[in-house]
Amino acid sequence: MTTTYITASGAPSADIADVDWAEKRYLIVDDFVGIRQLLRESLRNIGAKHIDQASSGGEAMTLLLRTHYDVVLCDFNLGEGKNGQQVLEEARVRNLMIPSSVWLMVSAEKSVESVMGAAEHQPDAYVIKPITEGVLLTRLNRVWHKKQVFREIDAAYIEKDYLRAAKLCDAQVAQHKVHEIDLMRLKASLLLKAGEPDKARTVYERLLEEREYNWARTGLGRIRLANGDHEAARQMFQGVIAENRFYIDAYDQLAGALTLLGRHEDACGVLEKAAKLSPNSVPRQRSLGNTALRLGNIPLAEHAFRKCIAIGEYSIARTVDAYLGMARVCGMKGDIKEALRLLAAAQRDFPGDVVQLRSKITEGLVYHESGDFRRARKSGDELEALLQRESKRPQTATCIEMATLLFAVGVKDAPVELLCHVIRNNHDNPVLVEEVQKIFDKARMGDEGMEYIAGARREANEIMNKGVLLWKTGKLEEAVEWMRDARVRLPDNMRILFNSAQMLINHMQLHGYDEALMVEANGVLMHVDELAAGQQRFAQLVEQLQMLIPGRAETPEAIDAEIDALRGVAEAPAA
Amino acid sequence: MKNSISVLGGTLENLLDHGKPADQGDPAYPQMAHMLYQTRRLSDNLMQLLALYKEVGKPTYPFEPNTVPVRELVQQVAGQARVLLESKQIVLELEFDGDLLWTFDEDLVIGVLAHAVNNAVRYTRDRIRLTIAERDGMLELAVADNGTGFPPSMLEAGTLVGQGVNFLTNSSGLGLFFASEVARMHKRRQAVGAIRLENGGPLGGGRFVLTLP
Repeated sequence: MTTTYITASGAPSADIADVDWAEKRYLIVDDFVGIRQLLRESLRNIGAKHIDQASSGGEAMTLLLRTHYDVVLCDFNLGEGKNGQQVLEEARVRNLMIPSSVWLMVSAEKSVESVMGAAEHQPDAYVIKPITEGVLLTRLNRVWHKKQVFREIDAAYIEKDYLRAAKLCDAQVAQHKVHEIDLMRLKASLLLKAGEPDKARTVYERLLEEREYNWARTGLGRIRLANGDHEAARQMFQGVIAENRFYIDAYDQLAGALTLLGRHEDACGVLEKAAKLSPNSVPRQRSLGNTALRLGNIPLAEHAFRKCIAIGEYSIARTVDAYLGMARVCGMKGDIKEALRLLAAAQRDFPGDVVQLRSKITEGLVYHESGDFRRARKSGDELEALLQRESKRPQTATCIEMATLLFAVGVKDAPVELLCHVIRNNHDNPVLVEEVQKIFDKARMGDEGMEYIAGARREANEIMNKGVLLWKTGKLEEAVEWMRDARVRLPDNMRILFNSAQMLINHMQLHGYDEALMVEANGVLMHVDELAAGQQRFAQLVEQLQMLIPGRAETPEAIDAEIDALRGVAEAPAA
Repeated sequence: MKNSISVLGGTLENLLDHGKPADQGDPAYPQMAHMLYQTRRLSDNLMQLLALYKEVGKPTYPFEPNTVPVRELVQQVAGQARVLLESKQIVLELEFDGDLLWTFDEDLVIGVLAHAVNNAVRYTRDRIRLTIAERDGMLELAVADNGTGFPPSMLEAGTLVGQGVNFLTNSSGLGLFFASEVARMHKRRQAVGAIRLENGGPLGGGRFVLTLP
């Protein structure tokens, strides 16, 4: 249907019928007073009455802490201090925005830096200056409608019920053609999170038949990477960059592929390029620093860690890794004093046992690498004492780092115990088993190490088999109890955790819903997700768990019906 | 600089928009309207330069096409032009399919169309028509006026754009070059976007056409 408007004012006005923009609370954040006045004028023209203003990121945070705003118009460049992206990240992390509130990121120009926020902290829309009322109202209405379409999906996502969220995407596409691409993009990433890469690939391939979307091509590369086809993945990321030199995500992925191919020099070069294009990402500078450190490129590592600390200063994504890495750099440059100062700063600014432990390990490495073997040994002894006092063991990577240091400074029993712990908790991970064997070899304990590893694997297998046997022979109560104990002894063993959750779910499937068991199973699964995200079995178990909740729809058709019912409540039927 | 021009343009627009009808007899009124036109030109050119050449010779624009309802595109372009057109007593006619959806980089296409409308203000007598329609699988977006048409030098620049013409030697070249870059960024299967300039459009004057795959 073609419409012709011939008017002096010349515009079909945006539909404002279903959203009351007048009564909402607005916050304008811009360091330029003239722009704030213009934006306030535009908001008043669409009827807004409650408008607050902030001239800096800090001021914005103060206001955000005090008031829940429905709409935030935030400039990206805010002069000194936080930039708009950092304000948004902090507001999101500290839960200062309610799910229905709208964040519009405003910038004078559309540049790579201004539109490349952290994936999980994207604003609802980007708007380029000058902002006119027509653009403002159109974008606000669009965001509002989109939020309605994505609301159910977001809720399922927060519950980590990725498979249900993916089904909801399909249900919404039928009714909201305008959001089809976004829904399909989200669906593919949900399927990836749920450990269903083949299904995600089908979605990406269908989208690519239509248009060359960078993110779809990159998504395909990511799937190849996860399947272990590192070279094919490398070529795909390279292809995306050849087509669009500013698609930053492809650089980060390419660096990951090169690292897995053992091409560390090339990976470092790619990260360096990406960091030049978009320097304000804490994780990217951290990766660059770590890669450079590994290659022994001290000046580059120093530059990256310094930048990482500088941008992290105002960012919620601030990381202790940069401080620890920088301390290593100082140690290698022979500046022990500065290294120790950084370690002290790390412990002061990032309180917690984990950081204290990692600082102690780094301190030992700094002494060891600078040739002060006496002090390195002292650090080692302190760590050993700490391990004796504390029965809980840190994450796998920290355990391995600690064992490496302890062997290097001549401690023997403590690192063996640590490595056995690592193997017990990862008994069916051949890559890790190989890595641990190499550490034993380097400590001239190759044969003993092999025996330790075999013993630890046997132990884990026995515990597992006993639990499964109880379950298979119908002694479900005993099996659940046995796995509870197993989780205490092997807290990070993925297969024990999965089987344990499976048995808890099975218990509820047979004997009915039980609040305590639900909480327990959920806790086990959340721990798995923390250890390693994106496991297919995780997604399947979460889905099974969600279905046990009384009153939850089960099939796609049922989900459709549920959505229709919700819509029926929200909208009165047409007369 | 971008902020300063934004403030200048916005303030002029508010002054013109809130001016009493009596003010329109004031000789300052058309002068202010002309200032708004010039400010828009400056702002458009600066935006185009920033998008194309933020670092010398190195375009750093994050191109990301999205599905956009054509109706909302029209709302935004017409909204941007409203005050300028009213102040110059020019009528904007809009002709489009209200149910059509298309995939493109919205900010870039708004930039091109707003600039084309602003440009038409210079050539038209009193009418400008924005037409958006699907033709042979492409989206055709045209801005036509009822002036005397483009001068031969501009028609020539229009055909030369993209063939290595030195766009900086021509006063209208930057806008055309920007528009053709925007068009060429849009690809779908084998099809690529394009621009062209014509004379003798539906209103008898000049016509700028952007086609998107």
